Amino acid sequence: VKLRFDDSVEEFRREFVAWLTDHRPDPEEMAADPSVSTGHAPEWARRWTRTMFDAGWLVPGWPPERGGRNAGPIETLVYMEELAKAHVPRTTNVQGLGIVVPSIFDYGTEDQIRDYAMPILRGEATACLGMSEPGAGSDLAALSTRAVLEGDDWVVNGQKVWTSGANYADFCFLFCRTDPDVPKHKGISILLVPMGTPGITVRPLPEIVHPDHPDLNEVFLDDVRVPAANLVGTLNDGWAMANGSLAHERGMVWVGGVMGLEESLGRLLEEAPTLLDRLPATERALAVDQIVQVAIDTQAARCLGYRGFAKLAAGGSAPEQALMKLYASEARQRVALVAAEIQGADALELGTVALDGHLAIDEPQGTWLEQYFISFANTISAGASEIQRNIIAERVLGLPRG
Amino acid sequence: MQFEFTDDQLELRDTARKLLESACPPALVRAVYDGDGAARAAELWTTLVGLDWPALGLPEEHGGIGFGFVEVAILVEELGRATAPTPFLATITQLAPIVREAGSSFRLADIAAGTCTGTLALAEGGAWRADAVETTARPAGDGFVLDGLKSHVVDGATADEVAVVARLAGTSGDDGLGVFVVPGAGPSGASGGVTAIPTAVLDPTLPVATMSLEGVEVGGDRVLVAPGDPRAALVIERGLQEATTAMALATVAASRAVFEMTLQYAKDREQFGRPIGSFQALKHRLADLYLSVERASSLAYFATLTIAEDDPRRAVASAMAKAAAGECQRLVTRDGLQLHGGVGFTWEHDLHFLLKRAKSGDLLFGTAATHRAHLARLLGLEPAA
Repeated sequence: VKLRFDDSVEEFRREFVAWLTDHRPDPEEMAADPSVSTGHAPEWARRWTRTMFDAGWLVPGWPPERGGRNAGPIETLVYMEELAKAHVPRTTNVQGLGIVVPSIFDYGTEDQIRDYAMPILRGEATACLGMSEPGAGSDLAALSTRAVLEGDDWVVNGQKVWTSGANYADFCFLFCRTDPDVPKHKGISILLVPMGTPGITVRPLPEIVHPDHPDLNEVFLDDVRVPAANLVGTLNDGWAMANGSLAHERGMVWVGGVMGLEESLGRLLEEAPTLLDRLPATERALAVDQIVQVAIDTQAARCLGYRGFAKLAAGGSAPEQALMKLYASEARQRVALVAAEIQGADALELGTVALDGHLAIDEPQGTWLEQYFISFANTISAGASEIQRNIIAERVLGLPRG
Repeated sequence: MQFEFTDDQLELRDTARKLLESACPPALVRAVYDGDGAARAAELWTTLVGLDWPALGLPEEHGGIGFGFVEVAILVEELGRATAPTPFLATITQLAPIVREAGSSFRLADIAAGTCTGTLALAEGGAWRADAVETTARPAGDGFVLDGLKSHVVDGATADEVAVVARLAGTSGDDGLGVFVVPGAGPSGASGGVTAIPTAVLDPTLPVATMSLEGVEVGGDRVLVAPGDPRAALVIERGLQEATTAMALATVAASRAVFEMTLQYAKDREQFGRPIGSFQALKHRLADLYLSVERASSLAYFATLTIAEDDPRRAVASAMAKAAAGECQRLVTRDGLQLHGGVGFTWEHDLHFLLKRAKSGDLLFGTAATHRAHLARLLGLEPAA
């Protein structure tokens, strides 16, 4: 164990920082044309993805033909840290680059890689992830969107909900039921569905904060015909692939969560002197203790993340990884709430801060109270905190299923 | 930050754990609790000395083996997990650091050889802060005369050598502070003006004593940092950071053991025809306990690294480690006892050894709240003067 990375890692960091400084997207252009949904890639974002792809910086761990440079996991970690420090999004299409593309590489055909994965890597397309349904949230395997093979086409009927970015995405990585007569985990398949296909209706769901820029959507599928060749992987094996897909998401997603947390804490510590000086001594002492607690939370999140990561990088298993999503998202919520409560009634004022180009990115946006409400996106989505606790209890701690 | 232990470090942990499983079984701890374990505890210490545990982290020029604080931390954790009644914690993480921080080699060779045990007498009235020290040091000849009352001295009734923090009369804050070493009170409990009054504590494996110093003459060779030396406050602060981090490590280790015991109990104990650990109410609590243990553990390792590498973040890191350790034991002690039900409430069950060690670890060297208050100062959240 040691506090610093090896020299070779620091050399890698310097090389990336130098490149990033020269090639990063222009902050003014970003602010003028912000990404308003995870399916939305404005012109600057498309160019930025292409630039990173060409230079081998888009997915450093992958080979050059896939936009990388065969970097190791520690180098990838350093890369993510530097992007976050520079306030530059790696992509606006988080699910596309983080889950859909690796899944297509893992399970898809050569044609699917060419037609669906590569365009995302080159900044030419975005994807959304069609998982949750009105009757299938935490119990994802209960999904009922039905796909029936008719001749050379799958005919899809059903409804998805909470589909991030569906209002802008070019295609959907759609989970549907292809065999209703077997146990629920065994009859699910994945289809690649262009969002322009007739029969698809997208209805954005404005959120409780920033309702003018919805990221979540309902997606209605009404006799949507999808070529049979768009089936990803093995028929009825979608559940196993879903777990693989989410593993991609959980591998290093904590870095963004921790950097967001540190950013929030940094802002709070900056504002603290002004906020605290307005308070009488006793109230101030209580407020200070709350700030100290979230400062400890933040340092712990980084240490916990590094610790799990170190075990993974060394080729072992890392139970800490299962804790990170739960811990970082709940800690983020605490920071925002602590800050808003110290602000008192002033926290009620609506934000006037302009978007800085990446609404859809894991960075604090808006006022403290807005951040507090926004933070629920992370404690609810991608496995709610309650589900995370079940997962930790059952898969990490080995407690029997109830 | 590279947070993985090396293979050698992992092997050290394995070896230490196996050794303590046989050399410090619950029966030995129980004997200490029942008041007839002194001989077995002494035998345990002889075993550890024979395996060079006290020498492990001390420099080679003083008879040590020359490993760093990371290796010491591993032993501290394993001793905490076993609730071992040994002088290791006080000698190696309280006395030795302040001697070394002072640039002295005072009896380090004897400590390495296991022929000298020790402790740190800093706290007064339960406050482990140099600015709370009122014990006085009066110049006399080539040395000083000490007078004062020290509280909560770990191993205070048995330690061979006691590092004492005192100040020149009439000084306050960081001014006038000095560090001295006085011989312990010895078997009679009083010697050369030093009187040790053992406190009857809940956890006899981590004994503490009140030490009274009345006209204690200290020769020049026993002055680690002379009063008024501008280094004094820093030496004390740095020694305290090391001792605090060690106490945090030991506390988290005991808490982790409580958690593991509770988890096993939740798997084994059946009610309503199924293991109680299959109920979601318990699952969520156990997941939260696990998170709390990992959170505290990560911060304790971070603090360990800042000390091992002498990183400037060591002040903040050691305070965070101790605060998180205290928060962790608070949750783990409560839920560990609660989830064990009646059986954990009995003297016959081994759980209470760990509960009490975890609680002691929080209450000694400043509670979680004490360290959060300290962090408030370090993070600049105190009102402008």
